Amino acid sequence: MKKVLYLIFFIIVAGSCKEKVPSPVQKEVISLDGNRAGRPYSPAIRVDNTLYISGQIAIDPATGEFVEGGIEEQTRQVLVNISALLDKAGYSLSDVVKCNVLMADIEYYSPMNSVYSEFFTVDPPARKAFAVKDLPMGALVEIDAIAIK
Amino acid sequence: MKKIIKTGKAPAAVGPYSQAVEANGTLYIAGQIPVDPSTGKIVDGGIIEQTQQVMKNIAAILEEAGYSFENVVKSTCLLTDMANFADMNGVYGSYYPENQPARAAFAVKGLPLGAMIEIETIAVK
Repeated sequence: MKKVLYLIFFIIVAGSCKEKVPSPVQKEVISLDGNRAGRPYSPAIRVDNTLYISGQIAIDPATGEFVEGGIEEQTRQVLVNISALLDKAGYSLSDVVKCNVLMADIEYYSPMNSVYSEFFTVDPPARKAFAVKDLPMGALVEIDAIAIK
Repeated sequence: MKKIIKTGKAPAAVGPYSQAVEANGTLYIAGQIPVDPSTGKIVDGGIIEQTQQVMKNIAAILEEAGYSFENVVKSTCLLTDMANFADMNGVYGSYYPENQPARAAFAVKGLPLGAMIEIETIAVK
Protein backbone atom coordinates (compact mmCIF):
# COMPACT_ATOMS: atom_id res chain seq x y z
CA MET A 1 0.00 0.00 0.00
CA LYS A 2 2.83 2.36 0.93
CA LYS A 3 4.52 1.62 -2.38
CA VAL A 4 1.33 2.45 -4.25
CA LEU A 5 1.06 5.78 -2.40
CA TYR A 6 4.68 6.56 -3.23
CA LEU A 7 3.98 5.74 -6.86
CA ILE A 8 0.91 8.01 -6.93
CA PHE A 9 2.92 10.78 -5.26
CA PHE A 10 5.71 10.35 -7.84
CA ILE A 11 3.26 10.50 -10.74
CA ILE A 12 1.72 13.71 -9.36
CA VAL A 13 5.15 15.32 -8.85
CA ALA A 14 6.36 14.21 -12.28
CA GLY A 15 3.16 15.53 -13.85
CA SER A 16 3.46 18.95 -12.22
CA CYS A 17 7.16 19.21 -13.25
CA LYS A 18 6.18 18.58 -16.84
CA GLU A 19 3.76 21.51 -16.78
CA LYS A 20 6.57 23.85 -15.75
CA VAL A 21 8.38 23.28 -19.06
CA PRO A 22 7.85 26.53 -21.00
CA SER A 23 5.87 26.27 -24.18
CA PRO A 24 8.03 26.72 -27.27
CA VAL A 25 8.18 30.13 -28.82
CA GLN A 26 5.96 30.69 -31.84
CA LYS A 27 8.10 30.26 -34.95
CA GLU A 28 6.62 31.25 -38.28
CA VAL A 29 8.02 29.52 -41.34
CA ILE A 30 8.38 31.81 -44.37
CA SER A 31 8.58 29.94 -47.66
CA LEU A 32 8.03 30.72 -51.32
CA ASP A 33 7.83 27.13 -52.51
CA GLY A 34 5.73 24.19 -51.35
CA ASN A 35 7.84 21.08 -51.94
CA ARG A 36 10.81 21.15 -49.59
CA ALA A 37 11.45 17.39 -49.35
CA GLY A 38 15.08 16.61 -48.66
CA ARG A 39 15.83 20.15 -47.49
CA PRO A 40 15.76 20.12 -43.67
CA TYR A 41 15.63 23.88 -43.19
CA SER A 42 13.13 26.69 -43.61
CA PRO A 43 13.84 29.45 -46.15
CA ALA A 44 13.20 31.90 -43.33
CA ILE A 45 11.96 31.84 -39.74
CA ARG A 46 10.24 34.73 -38.02
CA VAL A 47 10.15 34.87 -34.25
CA ASP A 48 8.88 37.99 -32.50
CA ASN A 49 10.22 40.88 -34.60
CA THR A 50 13.25 39.05 -35.92
CA LEU A 51 13.48 37.31 -39.28
CA TYR A 52 16.25 34.76 -39.87
CA ILE A 53 16.80 34.14 -43.59
CA SER A 54 18.61 30.97 -44.66
CA GLY A 55 21.70 31.17 -46.81
CA GLN A 56 20.46 31.89 -50.33
CA ILE A 57 22.16 30.71 -53.49
CA ALA A 58 21.50 31.89 -57.04
CA ILE A 59 18.64 29.60 -57.93
CA ASP A 60 15.85 31.24 -59.90
CA PRO A 61 12.63 30.12 -58.13
CA ALA A 62 10.75 30.33 -61.46
CA THR A 63 12.91 27.62 -63.07
CA GLY A 64 14.51 25.89 -60.09
CA GLU A 65 17.83 26.28 -61.91
CA PHE A 66 20.95 28.31 -61.33
CA VAL A 67 20.97 31.63 -63.17
CA GLU A 68 23.28 31.94 -66.15
CA GLY A 69 26.37 34.05 -65.79
CA GLY A 70 29.04 34.79 -63.23
CA ILE A 71 29.36 36.38 -59.83
CA GLU A 72 27.39 39.55 -60.72
CA GLU A 73 24.38 37.58 -61.95
CA GLN A 74 24.56 35.17 -59.04
CA THR A 75 24.80 37.96 -56.45
CA ARG A 76 21.82 39.68 -58.05
CA GLN A 77 19.71 36.50 -57.96
CA VAL A 78 20.68 35.84 -54.32
CA LEU A 79 19.56 39.34 -53.33
CA VAL A 80 16.38 39.02 -55.40
CA ASN A 81 15.64 35.81 -53.46
CA ILE A 82 16.35 37.52 -50.13
CA SER A 83 14.11 40.44 -51.17
CA ALA A 84 11.29 38.02 -52.03
CA LEU A 85 11.51 36.31 -48.63
CA LEU A 86 11.62 39.69 -46.86
CA ASP A 87 8.58 40.79 -48.84
CA LYS A 88 6.68 37.56 -48.05
CA ALA A 89 7.35 38.13 -44.33
CA GLY A 90 6.34 41.80 -44.52
CA TYR A 91 9.88 43.14 -44.24
CA SER A 92 12.06 45.13 -46.61
CA LEU A 93 15.78 45.40 -47.36
CA SER A 94 15.98 48.41 -45.04
CA ASP A 95 15.06 46.11 -42.12
CA VAL A 96 18.14 43.93 -42.63
CA VAL A 97 20.61 44.35 -39.75
CA LYS A 98 23.20 41.70 -40.55
CA CYS A 99 24.41 39.66 -43.52
CA ASN A 100 26.99 36.94 -43.96
CA VAL A 101 28.46 36.78 -47.45
CA LEU A 102 30.19 33.52 -48.37
CA MET A 103 32.10 33.34 -51.61
CA ALA A 104 33.73 30.45 -53.45
CA ASP A 105 36.71 32.74 -54.22
CA ILE A 106 37.79 35.98 -52.55
CA GLU A 107 38.39 37.36 -56.08
CA TYR A 108 34.61 37.77 -56.20
CA TYR A 109 34.68 40.34 -53.42
CA SER A 110 34.69 43.45 -55.58
CA PRO A 111 32.07 42.43 -58.18
CA MET A 112 29.87 41.04 -55.37
CA ASN A 113 30.13 44.38 -53.57
CA SER A 114 29.09 46.40 -56.60
CA VAL A 115 25.86 44.40 -57.02
CA TYR A 116 25.29 44.20 -53.24
CA SER A 117 25.43 47.99 -52.98
CA GLU A 118 22.70 48.31 -55.63
CA PHE A 119 20.36 46.61 -53.15
CA PHE A 120 21.60 48.20 -49.93
CA THR A 121 21.86 51.80 -51.06
CA VAL A 122 21.65 53.62 -47.72
CA ASP A 123 22.62 52.59 -44.18
CA PRO A 124 23.73 49.11 -45.24
CA PRO A 125 23.57 46.27 -42.70
CA ALA A 126 26.52 45.03 -40.65
CA ARG A 127 28.26 42.26 -42.51
CA LYS A 128 31.02 39.75 -42.63
CA ALA A 129 32.34 38.36 -45.89
CA PHE A 130 34.84 35.61 -46.61
CA ALA A 131 35.85 32.91 -49.04
CA VAL A 132 35.01 29.30 -48.19
CA LYS A 133 36.23 26.03 -49.63
CA ASP A 134 32.98 25.17 -51.35
CA LEU A 135 29.30 26.13 -51.47
CA PRO A 136 26.22 23.95 -52.04
CA MET A 137 25.59 22.99 -55.68
CA GLY A 138 28.78 24.72 -56.75
CA ALA A 139 27.37 28.20 -56.08
CA LEU A 140 29.75 31.17 -56.34
CA VAL A 141 28.08 33.12 -53.54
CA GLU A 142 25.74 32.43 -50.61
CA ILE A 143 24.21 35.15 -48.42
CA ASP A 144 22.22 34.77 -45.22
CA ALA A 145 20.56 37.64 -43.39
CA ILE A 146 18.87 38.74 -40.19
CA ALA A 147 16.18 41.43 -40.30
CA ILE A 148 14.47 43.19 -37.41
CA LYS A 149 11.61 45.64 -37.32
CA MET B 1 22.38 40.79 -18.62
CA LYS B 2 24.18 37.84 -20.19
CA LYS B 3 24.17 34.40 -18.64
CA ILE B 4 26.92 31.87 -19.27
CA ILE B 5 25.66 28.32 -19.85
CA LYS B 6 27.93 25.48 -18.80
CA THR B 7 27.31 21.74 -18.69
CA GLY B 8 29.44 18.61 -18.31
CA LYS B 9 27.02 16.82 -20.65
CA ALA B 10 28.54 18.65 -23.62
CA PRO B 11 32.26 18.93 -24.40
CA ALA B 12 34.21 21.61 -22.62
CA ALA B 13 35.25 24.53 -24.80
CA VAL B 14 38.52 23.88 -26.69
CA GLY B 15 39.45 27.56 -26.56
CA PRO B 16 38.56 30.87 -24.93
CA TYR B 17 34.79 30.77 -25.45
CA SER B 18 31.66 29.68 -23.56
CA GLN B 19 29.57 26.66 -24.53
CA ALA B 20 26.62 29.05 -24.80
CA VAL B 21 25.53 32.51 -23.74
CA GLU B 22 21.94 33.56 -23.10
CA ALA B 23 20.77 37.17 -23.29
CA ASN B 24 17.21 38.52 -23.42
CA GLY B 25 15.59 35.19 -24.29
CA THR B 26 18.09 34.39 -27.03
CA LEU B 27 20.58 31.55 -26.65
CA TYR B 28 23.79 31.66 -28.67
CA ILE B 29 25.39 28.20 -28.73
CA ALA B 30 29.04 27.99 -29.70
CA GLY B 31 29.89 25.94 -32.76
CA GLN B 32 29.77 22.32 -31.67
CA ILE B 33 32.19 19.74 -33.00
CA PRO B 34 31.75 15.96 -32.55
CA VAL B 35 33.67 15.61 -29.29
CA ASP B 36 32.26 13.04 -26.89
CA PRO B 37 32.16 14.81 -23.50
CA SER B 38 32.94 11.52 -21.70
CA THR B 39 36.25 11.02 -23.54
CA GLY B 40 37.10 14.53 -24.69
CA LYS B 41 37.86 13.11 -28.13
CA ILE B 42 36.24 13.20 -31.57
CA VAL B 43 33.91 10.21 -31.92
CA ASP B 44 34.88 7.29 -34.15
CA GLY B 45 33.20 6.95 -37.51
CA GLY B 46 32.33 9.20 -40.40
CA ILE B 47 30.06 12.14 -41.10
CA ILE B 48 26.93 10.36 -39.82
CA GLU B 49 28.45 9.54 -36.42
CA GLN B 50 30.04 12.98 -36.22
CA THR B 51 26.77 14.77 -37.00
CA GLN B 52 24.95 12.63 -34.40
CA GLN B 53 27.48 13.61 -31.73
CA VAL B 54 27.24 17.29 -32.65
CA MET B 55 23.44 17.15 -32.32
CA LYS B 56 23.75 15.36 -28.94
CA ASN B 57 26.06 18.11 -27.73
CA ILE B 58 23.63 20.78 -28.92
CA ALA B 59 20.77 18.93 -27.18
CA ALA B 60 22.69 18.86 -23.88
CA ILE B 61 23.41 22.60 -24.04
CA LEU B 62 19.82 23.44 -25.02
CA GLU B 63 18.56 21.38 -22.10
CA GLU B 64 21.00 22.94 -19.62
CA ALA B 65 19.74 26.38 -20.67
CA GLY B 66 16.07 25.33 -20.49
CA TYR B 67 15.54 25.31 -24.25
CA SER B 68 14.70 22.56 -26.75
CA PHE B 69 15.22 21.91 -30.47
CA GLU B 70 11.81 23.53 -31.05
CA ASN B 71 13.33 26.83 -29.90
CA VAL B 72 16.10 26.80 -32.52
CA VAL B 73 15.68 29.51 -35.16
CA LYS B 74 19.02 29.42 -37.00
CA SER B 75 21.84 26.96 -37.63
CA THR B 76 25.12 27.36 -39.44
CA CYS B 77 26.60 24.06 -40.67
CA LEU B 78 30.30 24.08 -41.48
CA LEU B 79 31.57 21.02 -43.34
CA THR B 80 35.06 20.18 -44.53
CA ASP B 81 33.69 18.64 -47.73
CA MET B 82 30.42 19.33 -49.58
CA ALA B 83 30.36 15.59 -50.42
CA ASN B 84 29.14 15.11 -46.82
CA PHE B 85 26.19 17.47 -47.33
CA ALA B 86 23.51 14.79 -47.96
CA ASP B 87 24.56 12.55 -45.06
CA MET B 88 24.72 15.55 -42.73
CA ASN B 89 21.23 16.57 -43.89
CA GLY B 90 19.86 13.11 -43.08
CA VAL B 91 20.98 13.19 -39.46
CA TYR B 92 20.35 16.92 -38.98
CA GLY B 93 16.82 16.65 -40.41
CA SER B 94 15.89 13.89 -37.96
CA TYR B 95 16.35 16.37 -35.10
CA TYR B 96 14.21 19.01 -36.81
CA PRO B 97 11.12 17.22 -38.16
CA GLU B 98 9.02 20.39 -38.45
CA ASN B 99 9.31 24.19 -38.30
CA GLN B 100 12.93 23.72 -39.21
CA PRO B 101 15.35 26.51 -38.36
CA ALA B 102 16.74 28.80 -41.04
CA ARG B 103 20.19 27.62 -41.99
CA ALA B 104 23.39 28.35 -43.87
CA ALA B 105 25.66 25.47 -44.90
CA PHE B 106 29.01 25.47 -46.63
CA ALA B 107 32.42 23.82 -46.72
CA VAL B 108 35.45 25.38 -45.07
CA LYS B 109 39.16 24.69 -45.38
CA GLY B 110 39.59 23.17 -41.93
CA LEU B 111 37.83 22.76 -38.57
CA PRO B 112 39.18 22.55 -34.99
CA LEU B 113 40.61 19.18 -33.87
CA GLY B 114 40.24 17.88 -37.45
CA ALA B 115 36.44 17.62 -37.18
CA MET B 116 34.40 17.01 -40.35
CA ILE B 117 31.51 19.14 -39.13
CA GLU B 118 30.75 22.05 -36.83
CA ILE B 119 27.26 23.44 -36.19
CA GLU B 120 26.50 26.81 -34.62
CA THR B 121 23.00 27.40 -33.21
CA ILE B 122 20.74 30.26 -32.16
CA ALA B 123 17.60 29.54 -30.12
CA VAL B 124 14.87 31.90 -28.93
CA LYS B 125 12.16 31.54 -26.31
